[in-house]
Amino acid sequence: MNSESNTCDENNFSSFFKNHAKSLRNYLLYKFGNNDQAEDMAQEAFIKLWQNCKDVPLEKAKSYIYTIATNSSLNAIAHSKVVLAYEKNNSILDRTNENPEHILEQEEFQSKLLNAIQKINETQRVAFLMHRIDGKKYVEIAEELNIGVKAVEKRIHLALVEIKKEIENFK
Amino acid sequence: MKIMDEDYKLAKWLNNELTEEELVEFKKDSDYILYKKIKENSALLKTPHFDENKMLVDVLKTKKSKVISMQQWFVRIAAVLVIGFGLLFGYQSFSVSQELAENGKKVEFSLPDNSNVVLNSGSSIEFKKWNWDNNRRLKLNGEAYFKVAKGKTFEVNTNLGKVTVLGTQFNVKARNNRFEVTCYEGKVKVNYKIREIILTKGQIIAFENNEIIIEKTITENEPTWKNNEISFEKEHLATILSEIENQFNISIEFDGESNQLYTGKIPSNDIETALKLVSDAYHLNIQKTSKNSYILK
Repeated sequence: MNSESNTCDENNFSSFFKNHAKSLRNYLLYKFGNNDQAEDMAQEAFIKLWQNCKDVPLEKAKSYIYTIATNSSLNAIAHSKVVLAYEKNNSILDRTNENPEHILEQEEFQSKLLNAIQKINETQRVAFLMHRIDGKKYVEIAEELNIGVKAVEKRIHLALVEIKKEIENFK
Repeated sequence: MKIMDEDYKLAKWLNNELTEEELVEFKKDSDYILYKKIKENSALLKTPHFDENKMLVDVLKTKKSKVISMQQWFVRIAAVLVIGFGLLFGYQSFSVSQELAENGKKVEFSLPDNSNVVLNSGSSIEFKKWNWDNNRRLKLNGEAYFKVAKGKTFEVNTNLGKVTVLGTQFNVKARNNRFEVTCYEGKVKVNYKIREIILTKGQIIAFENNEIIIEKTITENEPTWKNNEISFEKEHLATILSEIENQFNISIEFDGESNQLYTGKIPSNDIETALKLVSDAYHLNIQKTSKNSYILK
């Protein structure tokens, strides 16, 4: 019996899938913007993992799916808009304490922020959104993007600088 | 801002890794407030819904084909019957309704929830009556004015962009490359390519070829075209001519070209005046060649 976990076991595979599928789809979405394409690519990566489950132990499955997804995405269509939205009732403060101007002001800011995120460099956006939306640690992002933690910090630092610039130059 | 450029400090700050002293120092920075807003608001972002279970099922079945039990067969047959009856009874209400305003005509009609729509000449709308109250979505070609009854989200889709509202009055124009939305009451959300913009009462926004070309406030309470006036703002001559062709149901021959943009109002019930206003503005002459055709030189 192998000491590594068996990826071919349906329960193992399913729980691995549930831990990583959305996050892989999101990564592809930040990269290409197109949600249908992101879902197709994520699905393709998991199908390859499932078909090759004998050769890929569960411990290596995560880097396997990210590698597959990144490679297959090399010939993907050009970047389109990243479909993102804000949580409903998202006001940072309690809405009842806020006057309508504040709410409007926040909505305007959020719309500028979305716009800025679309405009910045792809690698910076991907790292930034993996942190902000998926709540990943820098170590995890580094592992998934196959780069060092310092490089992640650099991308996120620059993302913030660029987003701020775009917001200030809006219009 | 010097301090924050060293050592990717912004990334450290975003991850709450700054020391007390560093944080105190950063808070003195003039950019701090903006960065803080970016941090707070980006935490509220979310991605589209993801149907995890469906994908898992699809992935799993790429390898194993399972034996289908009797019970599953029964469910399948039942499903086929239910769908069959559903199609039979639902056909009429499921089918797409269309309203059309031909050239030279305006059409006013009500949607199932009594929301009011006025279609401008040469425009059409498609929608589904079935389940309208819960699914207020329609597809617009051309231009229309909406007075939306209060209720769930109301969505106007065009080939250029999308407008979403709750209960309000607004005008949408999607012709040629121009996507223009005017909000007369309430609040609407406009999606155009990568942009998402919120309009409130008295605001107008227009896009053309990925650019915002108009963004301002207006004082009118409803679109001028409803009162037999067409107003143009920074509009191309070709677009104006095609709008006039739509309004009066005529054809205008024009071989020239002009990059000059036109801003002004013309009557939509007086063809001679309308043509004269435009031709004068461009220093051109208009001639009638037959009953419904003109030539501009």
